Amino acid sequence: MTEPLPPLAELVEPAEPSARPSDHALGFALLSAALLGAAALFPLDRPPLSLFACPLKAATGWPCLFCGATHAFAHLVHGHPGDALAASPLGTLLALAALAHLAATCARLCGFSFTPPAVRFGLRLRLATLALLAANWVFVAARTRGVL
Amino acid sequence: MLARCPSCRQTFSTERSGQQDCPHCKRPLIVPGAPPQAELIMPSPEPAFGSPESETAPGTPWERRAELGLFTAWWQTVYQSLFEPGKLFTSARLDRGRAQLGFAVTTWSVFAALGQIIDRLLLSDQRDQATRWLNQLRQAGAHLPPFVDRLLAMGNNDNSIPATFGIALLSPLFAFLFVYLNAGVTHGSAMLIGQARRGFAATFAACAYGFAPFVLLAVPGCGGIVALVWCAALTGYGLKRMHRISPGAAAGAVLAPYVILCCAGCAVSLSVASFFGGMIPK
Repeated sequence: MTEPLPPLAELVEPAEPSARPSDHALGFALLSAALLGAAALFPLDRPPLSLFACPLKAATGWPCLFCGATHAFAHLVHGHPGDALAASPLGTLLALAALAHLAATCARLCGFSFTPPAVRFGLRLRLATLALLAANWVFVAARTRGVL
Repeated sequence: MLARCPSCRQTFSTERSGQQDCPHCKRPLIVPGAPPQAELIMPSPEPAFGSPESETAPGTPWERRAELGLFTAWWQTVYQSLFEPGKLFTSARLDRGRAQLGFAVTTWSVFAALGQIIDRLLLSDQRDQATRWLNQLRQAGAHLPPFVDRLLAMGNNDNSIPATFGIALLSPLFAFLFVYLNAGVTHGSAMLIGQARRGFAATFAACAYGFAPFVLLAVPGCGGIVALVWCAALTGYGLKRMHRISPGAAAGAVLAPYVILCCAGCAVSLSVASFFGGMIPK
């Protein structure tokens, strides 16, 4: 008895550089604009941004994984990248990614054609991401506890 | 040539046709040559996930609302989401992101607005009573954690009729942002554990239809909490069906962000408990 054949792969045409961003790219651009706009317009010490104070930190004194992200967004959009990195490297990276995605989507809406680079999220990249998340938390925790 | 793996739906470049392993998921597959050889187009025993059969899924009732009618399509989608999710996610298409977003935003907005109004009509007396009670505790010397204080102050400030209607009118915007935030975080978790097999569109479909339990936002009191828990469970089930992954992987992808939220919720509970605990005479 012969073994069944593996499934057939589908041949695809190489992607043409496209001007029009996808619906999801537009959705994420709007989300980025909302987050960056809120960080630029609202003061950190008054609602609604002050409501993002971390309850875990308030209760235990230890930061959560995303502690400092609101400050990082606010410092970055106000042109203080050093303060943003000090608040949260992860938050700074997310803010930069949001800014880059917003700019790229606006450029594509204006007619510039390019294909976003495809990143293969393999095992090494996943492990590296997890290590960076852990390193970010250690850094923020060290700053919160006054070690750094 | 470029080929798409029928198991993980990732695209890869290869120089040869014939049997080989997918470089992403390592599963065996056959890359057809051009022209395809007769022995290579033999059908596999059962259709692979992500194969053309599932690409041509009929669509959920909401995705077929043009033929079913708007209300019937919405109602059937909500019913299937809550009671027959397997049927719903089997029929969901990956190329209907805009329709899925529309379903999530409509469901959240309408019932959040309804919930705001019902809450104001039915629970305003209880809120006033709770505020009076907390003020008495404060006067007795109790110390409320600052963030809880700010939350309560904001809740009381937003108790006016214009604020109630303002929040109701802004619900579609909040819903839109929350859908994408939720889908982005969930997809990030799925990618981190290597389970985002069919791309963001599949995660988005699971998250968008996972918003169906938010019809419970119209139920005063516990409706929101029940809806949130049901939403998490439904999103997890949706991820399992849409990405064709194991229940454990789907639970991991969905629960990672909720664990963070839950930790935050537990911390709030602890803070409130310590606040009230401080009031008990020793």
